[in-house]
This record gives sequence, structure tokens and C-alpha cells, in this order.
Amino acid sequence: MKRFILATLGLSLLVAGGCGLDNYAEPKSKLLGQITYNGEPLGLRGTGEAVQLQLYQDGYELRAPIPVYVAQDGSFEATLFDGQYKLVTRDNNGPWVNDRDTTVVNVSGSTEVALEVTPYFTLSDVSLSLDGESLNATFTVNEVVENATIEYAMVLLSNTSFVDDITYSAREDLRDVTVGSAMEISVDLSENEGFKAGKPLFARVGLRTVGADQAIYSQVVRLR
Amino acid sequence: MKKHISIIRTTVLIGFISFFSACSDFLEQEPDAIIDEEQVFEDEGMIKSVLANFYGRVTWAQNISDSYSYTILDEAGKSDSGPDNIQDYSNELWRVYDYTLIRNMNQFLEGLRTTTVIGEEARLAYEGELRFLRAWLYFNMVRGMGGMPIVGDEVFEFNGTTTDITALQYPRSTEAELYDYIIAECEAVTEYLPEEPSVNAARATKWAAQMLKARAAVYAGSIANYNNKMPNPISTPGGEVGIPADRAEGYYQQALEAAEEVINSGVYRLNMTNPDDLGRSFYEATSVKNSNNEVIWARDYKYPGQTVGFTRENIPASHAEDIDRAYAGPILNLVEDFEYTDNRDGSIRTRDAQGNYIFYDSPEDAFANKDARLWGSVIYPGAVFKGSPVVLQAGQKYLENGTWRTRTGQPGETDDDGRLLTSVNGPVTSNQQFINKTGFFFRKFMDETRGASTRGRNSDMWFPRFRYAEALMIACEASFELGQTADALNYINQIRERAGIQELQTITFEDIVREYRVEFAFEDHRYWDLKRWRLAHEVWNGVQNSPTAQQYALFPYLVVAPGTPNDGQWVFDKQPFTNSPHPRNFQMRNYYNFIDQAWINNNPKLVRNPYQ
Repeated sequence: MKRFILATLGLSLLVAGGCGLDNYAEPKSKLLGQITYNGEPLGLRGTGEAVQLQLYQDGYELRAPIPVYVAQDGSFEATLFDGQYKLVTRDNNGPWVNDRDTTVVNVSGSTEVALEVTPYFTLSDVSLSLDGESLNATFTVNEVVENATIEYAMVLLSNTSFVDDITYSAREDLRDVTVGSAMEISVDLSENEGFKAGKPLFARVGLRTVGADQAIYSQVVRLR
Repeated sequence: MKKHISIIRTTVLIGFISFFSACSDFLEQEPDAIIDEEQVFEDEGMIKSVLANFYGRVTWAQNISDSYSYTILDEAGKSDSGPDNIQDYSNELWRVYDYTLIRNMNQFLEGLRTTTVIGEEARLAYEGELRFLRAWLYFNMVRGMGGMPIVGDEVFEFNGTTTDITALQYPRSTEAELYDYIIAECEAVTEYLPEEPSVNAARATKWAAQMLKARAAVYAGSIANYNNKMPNPISTPGGEVGIPADRAEGYYQQALEAAEEVINSGVYRLNMTNPDDLGRSFYEATSVKNSNNEVIWARDYKYPGQTVGFTRENIPASHAEDIDRAYAGPILNLVEDFEYTDNRDGSIRTRDAQGNYIFYDSPEDAFANKDARLWGSVIYPGAVFKGSPVVLQAGQKYLENGTWRTRTGQPGETDDDGRLLTSVNGPVTSNQQFINKTGFFFRKFMDETRGASTRGRNSDMWFPRFRYAEALMIACEASFELGQTADALNYINQIRERAGIQELQTITFEDIVREYRVEFAFEDHRYWDLKRWRLAHEVWNGVQNSPTAQQYALFPYLVVAPGTPNDGQWVFDKQPFTNSPHPRNFQMRNYYNFIDQAWINNNPKLVRNPYQ
């Protein structure tokens, strides 16, 4: 019995003693960021890992990017070791002009960074409201990049706070969008199951540019 | 203690004895399971069997050994058990990166060139086959990833630290270079390869090489053409992805030449076994090996030994011979793309202009006058398979206060009057296994041989990779793009005539897209075609209830309304396919597979693909 206890003791010492020698402490520093244009955060698709940034760190033999997923309000977050990183948007990804210039970020403790991009268009004066059995949206499209072409605008409704061109319960597209003037779209909800069932409703407006792989969105508004 | 010492002594002694006696060679034996290079190339039978091994390793992407591969596009839906939540496509979908196989092939080539057991002509024929297979492998790589390293005939050796590893790391070729390489290889081997068709089209011939050349050229041509018409062409600065627009014409020209060589050879033709039954003829053209004059190269299967489970997995319940059945079924989207003989709009007419049901005396009447290829590709409700009709009935429709209501039962259940409620075949919307959910079954590649759907036997159906109809379609497409409309019409109308549908007087790009879709359904064309035409992101746009991205099913119902003229007739409901609730969403990044990080770690000269 004594021998058994001793053996157990020895074994647990061995197991416990194994820690600390060959392991790193987990990363604790946080990189918090926001994708902005003129200081304003951009609305994006937040599901399906659709919009990603990449972090590179020099000085190692292998150079693989760390993917950073962007949330639908344009914010992102990564838990890292302290050090110098290079932040870059993913190639051809996002509703902005593709720009592979790196932003150098020195991560030390909690670090905040704003990543400025140049979207093709922005959305302003967005108002979303419920009127009886329809959802009314008004918004204005502002041109940022000359010669960019609008593909279509869309109004999206969802029963959860995730709303984008893939995750929605109702959607209405508008093909003829003019820049600078107030646009109106109305979505008939009389047949919408989520609406009839009294579920929560969230909505936002999106705009697709020809040639961009993602749409730009207004911020999500809770209607009910 | 004394005892212990003696044990140690004995052990040490035995150790010494066995150590020194190892000098005798009683343990040295010739391995009988490992055959070295020399032995292989001393015997033609061995050479053949190595080649056979390569033939067995070149099947990728959508094919009949992988029923699931049919369900992720817009051709079929997965009926097996509960819903498949696929929506996006993987960055690695059908990605081929098999430099192990290329190395094996080059080892073989090296040995073959030194062999003395066969004559020069036979040796060149083997070399031709090998280089054709290698070109096919490169073709499978380039259509997924764009340009990849071309290693030629080199067999790399790595001897630890003495080898300079950077010399082994080849950069990626451009996309155009790799297509050019494939085309050049096909041209080089055409004179080595036999002109006679091989048994069951299983081995490469001159015509297979011409077909690969034609297909590679038309792919390259359409990428040069349509990629540059996109608002934001997909390319890398080094050209690993993307082909300059000015090369389109040259590629189309090459495609046309190669396709016309096959057409004018007279070796193959559009199979027509029974001019009175065009549907049957089309089925036999794709799925029956005997006296087939159409298939140029196929992955052949043979019982016993080399069999495939497609028939077993997908057979209707009423015709099943084992427990497996109804794994997947074609969807309405595909069925409606087949034209009517008198109407180019192939939509199944289920309701009249006022929205009332259209009543049919029997379910197959809804498909009367369809393109004959529909019968040959898809088993629709009431169509005959292996001599008896396949009953597809979702339920009964009955009148209640002037509106039609639905009544369904368990599979095979009848109502109190003995009339069938729901067929054992389905379709249903439940999560049950082994029952159809789309309203259609496959016919193309379903083996009618007795026992072909049993686990014990399986099927020896083949999977055609090239057939004569494709030579016609490539010639049509290339002529069309080169502005030779009359030729394009001539080629496409040969195909349409065999299908029993009206001749075209004018031709558009959309006509060509559609003809490819219906002619080559389930033959691994659709995905690659939509990709090279840069149409995939528009067709599979991820929009709910989009007619092209959402999968649809067709549910047939028996009308039970005693005392009315409609009693015993049939109506149909079109509805979204419940077992795949999400629309397909093909994103820009899906046009090219991602380059794996592990490959880059091994070879830092590999550049990443766009969107990566």
C-alpha cells in the first residue's frame, strides 16, 4: 500500500513537474480594432468568415498569416503575444478598394488600432422603420471612388441581430440606385413568417459595388 | 541474488551469440512483395500493371464513386437522412495537388526509356499513355488552382543535407503556361497513341489526347475571354492566375482544330441504338458499354474487383435489391432546363394562368414531349426503369370547401379505400433515410444489370470522361466565339437532333451554356464550365429562393375527389428542396482553390491565389 502511494505520488510529481518547462504561457495581449473610413466604422457582413484581415509577424522561418475575422459592425479582435505585427486586408476581400499596404501594429497589452480603408460607396441618412405590414427604408448613397458602379442596393430583415446578404428572413433588392439622392425601398412583410410570429426584427441596408466581393452595410437597427 | 546474476549472465551470453552470428545470411531473403525498378522493366506484364495503377489514381472531382459530389451543385439533392446545410463552397473543393503521382509517373518514364524487353513502337505507345495521363493530372490541377509548378520528366532525389533544397523548389507556372504545356503534351503523344478505340474506352487513344487538348484549349480560351470581361478580373501579378485577353482567339482556334480532328476521323459518332426511342438511345450512349461508338475515354469498372456503388446507393426503393437506396436524386432545376420539343421553355406546367392546378391523367404526361435526353438522364415520376414504372407519389390531394388539401402517409401506406397515400419511393420532406426527397431519380449511370445494386456485387458501370458529343460542343463553342456562327449552328444542331428537339436558327452564348448543362449532366462538366465562363457567382448567387441558386423539388400528388372528373388524375407542387435549405453561394474566392499553407512552408516560391 505504501509503495502504491509512493508510486502515485511520484507519478503525479512527474506529471505536475512537466508543466512550465516546455510550454509558453498563453497569449494575453489583445489587439482591438475597427475598420473605418474618415473615422466612421463601416458596416460589413459578419457571418461566414466573409471579411478577414491578416496579421503577419516577421522574424520567423515560416510566414503564415493569422486570419482575423471582422464582425458586422466593422470591429475585430485578436489575442496575441506582445510584439510587432503587420496588419493587412485580405486580397480582394471587402467592399473597398483593394489595398495591400500594411499597417504596422505594436501590440503591448491591450492595443487599439483603426484600419482606414477606401470604400467604393458609403451609406448615409439611413432610416429603417416598420409601417403596418411593411418595412420602409430610406438611405442615401455617397460616392467615394469615382467611376465605381453600383450593382444593387438591398434592404435586409432578420430575426436575429445577424443581418447580411446571406443571413436574412426578408430581402428586397433595388437595381436603379442613384448617387446622392434619397432612395426608398419598401418590403412587404404580410407573408413573412417571422414577422407574423411576432419574432424580434433587425434590419439594415446593404449596397453592392460591381467588382467587389462583399457589400457595404449600414449598422444594424432593431425594429422590434 | 545469485539467481539474478545467472539470469543476467545468460542474457548477455545470448545477446553476444545472436549479435555475432548475424554475420551469417540466414535472415537475408529476397522480398517477395517489393519489386524493384529493374524487375518491373524486365517484363511487359509488369509495365502494364504499373500503368494500370496510374489509371486507377486519376479520378477526381464529381464522379460516380462519390454520390455526394452530385448534390453540392445544381444537378441533384441529397435525400439521405436529414438536411445538408451546405451553402458556401470550400476553398479546397476538388483541389488536386498530386506531385507524388507525378513523381511516380516520371520514375516510370525513366525506367521505360531504358527497357529492352519491348520494341520501340510499343515503348512509345506506353510513353504516350503515360504522358497523356500526366497531362490529364496537370489539367485537373490547373482547372482548380491555376498555374502550378511544371516539373517535366525530372525525378527528384533528396539525399538529406547534401541536396540543395532550393533547386527542388519550383515556382508556379503561369496559368497560360500550364495550359500550353498540357496542349503541347497532348500534341506530342498523338502519334504514339493507337488510333483504334480501346476496350470499353478504358485506355488512352489518339482521340482521347485530342479531346484533352480540345478541352484544355477551350477552358484556357474561355478564361482568357470571360475573365477579362469581369469588372474586376481575377488575376495575380505574376500571371499564375488569369490569362491575357489577346490569347483567347488562339486557344479557341486550337480547340476547334482538335475537336474537328475527332469529328472528321470517323472513328466515333453520336450513338443511336434505336432511332424510334431517342431517350433510350441517349441512355445507351452514356451508360451502356456494349457497341458504344460515342465514348472516347472512360474510367471503366469491372466485376469482380473493380466495381462502383452509384447504382446501389441511388436506386429507387421499389427497384432496390439491397438495403441501400435513394441516396440522392436530381432536382427540378435541372429537369426544367431540358426543353420541350415544341417550346424552348422547359418549365414543368403545373398550374394554369389563373393559378389553378393542371390535371394530368398520369404523372409521366407532364414530361411528354420533353427533350429525349431527360428520359435518358433522369427517372421522372412514372417513367419506366428496368421494365416497370417508378412510382413517385408524395400524397393525395382532396377538396375541402373548394380548396385543395394534402394528405400524406408513411412510405407505402394506403388509405381506407386501398388507394396509395405515399409511395415507398417518396418523395417526402421528412428526415428518413432511404427515401427520395426531390421527386426524381438518376437514370444516367444507373446500371440495369441484375444484382448491380447489391452490396455483394455492385456495379461495373463506367464513367465517361470524353465522348463524341463533347467534341461537337467544343467545336460549337469555339466556332461561336470565333464568329463562325454557321459552323456553330451546324454542330449544336447535330446534338439537338439526336435529342429530338427543334433545330436552332440563331445561336447565343446562353444556348451553348444550356446545351452543355443538359447534355453533360452528372458528367463533371457543370462546375468547371460555370467557373471558366465566370458565371458561377451569378448562377449560385446565394439569394434565397433564387431560381438558380436554390434547389427545388417536384412533388406529384394523386387527386382523390370521388364523383368529379379529376378523380384519379395527378397534380404537381413545385417547392424548395427541404433537404438542402440554403441557396448555393459561390463566392469570388471559389474561382480558384487556395494554395495550402503547408505547401508554401515546403516551397516558399509558391505564391498565394487571389482572395487568399
